[in-house]
Amino acid sequence: MEMESARKTFLTEAAELLEEMEGALLSLEGSVDNKELINVLFRSAHTIKGSAGLIGLDRVMHFTHKVENVLERLRQNELYVSDELIGIMLKCKDHIAALVQLSCNADEELPVDMLTEGELLHDRLAPYLETAINIAPANPAPEECSKAPCYPEPVQDTPPSTGASNWHLSLRFGKDVLRDGMDPLSFINYLSRYGDITCLTTLYNNLPDAEEMDPESCYLSFEVSFHSDFSKQEIEDVFEFVRESSVIRIIPPHSAVQTYVSLIDELKEDKWKLGDILVKSGAITQRELDEALKKQQIQPSDEKPYLGDILIKEGIVKREVVEAALDKQGKLRGKTSAEEGKTIRVDAVKLDSLINLVGELVIASGGIRQHAQTVKDGTLSKSSMLMSRLVNDIRDIAMKMRMVPIAATFNRFQRLVHDTSKDLGKNIELAIKGGETELDRTMIEKITDPLTHIVRNSVDHGIESPDVREAAGKPPKGTITLDAYHDSGSIIIAVTDDGRGLNAEKIWQKALRRGMVDPDKRPHDRELYNLIFEPGFSTNEEVTNLSGRGVGMDVVRRNIEMMRGFVQINTVEGKSTQILIHLPLTLSIIDGFMVGISGAFYIIPLDMVVKCFILNEETQRLAGDRGYFDFRGKIIPYINLSSVFNGNGGGRHSDNMVVVQYAGQSVAFAVDRLYGDVQVVIKSLGKMYKDLQGISGATILGDGTVAMILDVPGIIKTVQTSGKKE
Amino acid sequence: MAKKIMVVDDSATLREVVKATLVKAGYDVLEAVDGKDALKKIAGQKINLIICDVNMPNMDGITFLKEIKLQAAHKFVPIIMLTTESQEAKKQEGKAAGAKAWVVKPFKPETMLAAVEKLILP
Repeated sequence: MEMESARKTFLTEAAELLEEMEGALLSLEGSVDNKELINVLFRSAHTIKGSAGLIGLDRVMHFTHKVENVLERLRQNELYVSDELIGIMLKCKDHIAALVQLSCNADEELPVDMLTEGELLHDRLAPYLETAINIAPANPAPEECSKAPCYPEPVQDTPPSTGASNWHLSLRFGKDVLRDGMDPLSFINYLSRYGDITCLTTLYNNLPDAEEMDPESCYLSFEVSFHSDFSKQEIEDVFEFVRESSVIRIIPPHSAVQTYVSLIDELKEDKWKLGDILVKSGAITQRELDEALKKQQIQPSDEKPYLGDILIKEGIVKREVVEAALDKQGKLRGKTSAEEGKTIRVDAVKLDSLINLVGELVIASGGIRQHAQTVKDGTLSKSSMLMSRLVNDIRDIAMKMRMVPIAATFNRFQRLVHDTSKDLGKNIELAIKGGETELDRTMIEKITDPLTHIVRNSVDHGIESPDVREAAGKPPKGTITLDAYHDSGSIIIAVTDDGRGLNAEKIWQKALRRGMVDPDKRPHDRELYNLIFEPGFSTNEEVTNLSGRGVGMDVVRRNIEMMRGFVQINTVEGKSTQILIHLPLTLSIIDGFMVGISGAFYIIPLDMVVKCFILNEETQRLAGDRGYFDFRGKIIPYINLSSVFNGNGGGRHSDNMVVVQYAGQSVAFAVDRLYGDVQVVIKSLGKMYKDLQGISGATILGDGTVAMILDVPGIIKTVQTSGKKE
Repeated sequence: MAKKIMVVDDSATLREVVKATLVKAGYDVLEAVDGKDALKKIAGQKINLIICDVNMPNMDGITFLKEIKLQAAHKFVPIIMLTTESQEAKKQEGKAAGAKAWVVKPFKPETMLAAVEKLILP
């Protein structure tokens, strides 16, 4: 425990000292000898060495000792500062830092590359320690370690090649190698067939004292600098018989790094595992990969290191190579995922606020456009037009982002149909079509309840029991079909069953009993069917626990109308029932057609507008008197909106006409002015105005004016009922 | 003096191929048909390397290997074991007994030569 805290203290202390060292070294660079700085250097190294020894960090102490010796000579003026020495010293400082970190955090063996690095640095320091004052030593390249005992003597005919093209082999022979009948020397000898051993250093650090030494054990380690054109795999194969009992590290020459990088780049683009890429390029061998993977496996799963990091740490492969491989992998992966279709998850709240902001943007750009029209500035108009177009695009994309395929909602009904049909002893299959049709997310949420009611009704009332079906000559298995598709600017969800269909007579009788209809006026069958959506209507004599007492259908209609949609029924008695739910594409932002009525602005949803034109006075007077109007050979109701909204329609006759169509019903509206299409962000009017007729919402125009959105379905309904009353 | 290699295998063909390869490379080759035969033939000799099959009559390769490791004169002799892919259990047993060099049969003569030369000093 005490040691633990001492180590922590040492870590902080060493970090400070090393920083001081670096500062001093950098100040010394290029300057004349500065006694004070050299003293700082010496003291830092000395303190690190002393403290490290105190807490048992022998490796740090051992390495720093030599550094200190060199610094001592500098202090004694036996050496003079040179840029080269500073370079080496800076490297030594880095190495000490790394050693301190490693030694303090883990007691395990140092990675081989650390040992190698330390060895090389010591070798480079060695000339500065020689008593023969050789202040400017011949630039010792890292691979040319002429100081250490070399075996075999470099007797190669070819001159030692430059360091950059040399392989570096770290051979740590296992203790049992000799006992296994292997002679390390024979492998090194065999290695020389593959190239030139430019330098070989024997490491004795594992050699025990004479009395502890077992003559049959092998304590030898070698650092080999090796010039060869063979591949890493081939070089590794030299040591195949000892690789299980020894540690063999093969570090490719620096020039090979470039080769690997380009090989990786040229790899065919089929696999993209990092290990595979590295093996294929020859940067690592399969065995090295397997070992690294094993190392990765044994780590706890929450802190698994990356394969690349392991390989770099082990000194197996250079960082550049791993980076090149990762780069390649990234490219390949990018390609694959692009093919698979990229998706990201976004918080729904963020998406909603984006839509809100886009809404504000729409309003703001509308304002600019309006202003541009008022001031009649050509350039401003032009750029405002451009901006409107861009805002439109953004709006479309933002809306699309909220679109969700309906398939998931549809699939939920599989279970419902399965369970309820079993309860009722019916055999029903649910067929799903058009699941890929996309709906606004908020709409999907709101449509689930109404759909549940409709599907339950089909299971309960629509589809007959198997024996009844067979008697009617129908397959005993009933089918309910859920379908979704786009139709002229709206989305239609169709629930179809091949059950008994609706009985108009039954509905009529029931409506009579409930006093919902005028007994003298039996409407058309089509209208009778719509009665099932009226509150308090239920055709089934027996109330089952599945579909309630007819409360469902009126709620269904209300919910759908709240989404600015409507419901339609098509039925053939004894054969089928189809319920069509028409929904607008979006809920919050729509294209609208702006008209002026008695000086106020009104919006008609653009997808309902069929035509707008100016009527001549004569026809108009006629239409106004009759209350209907001939449109393309069809008689449609004529409504003067200024009289609807002001009550005193007598004022002036509006000559602008807008023909709208909704649920197959056309109506002609007479309005005062036509303004054209605008983008409309729908704002609800709030609870206070929920009983307001003819208005479904409001919007804010660019200049801040409020415009009302006409509730076309509502107006049509009012017209129909008033027509009936008359 | 040429290095001496003992080839232990019950297959005469294999011995012949290996011998031809090694002789061509300048080695002296001794032959034995099984472990017992081999032990007899190497007694009192200085052998530089042994190539030994696993499955042999009388004394199999693993037993032979264990015997060799007990003899002070031969315990440090490198041994190349010959095996087929399917003999994983035998291979593990052999490795535990101190045979680390394995060559899988069938092999090319040059593979054998390379294995020999990794283990033997000229």
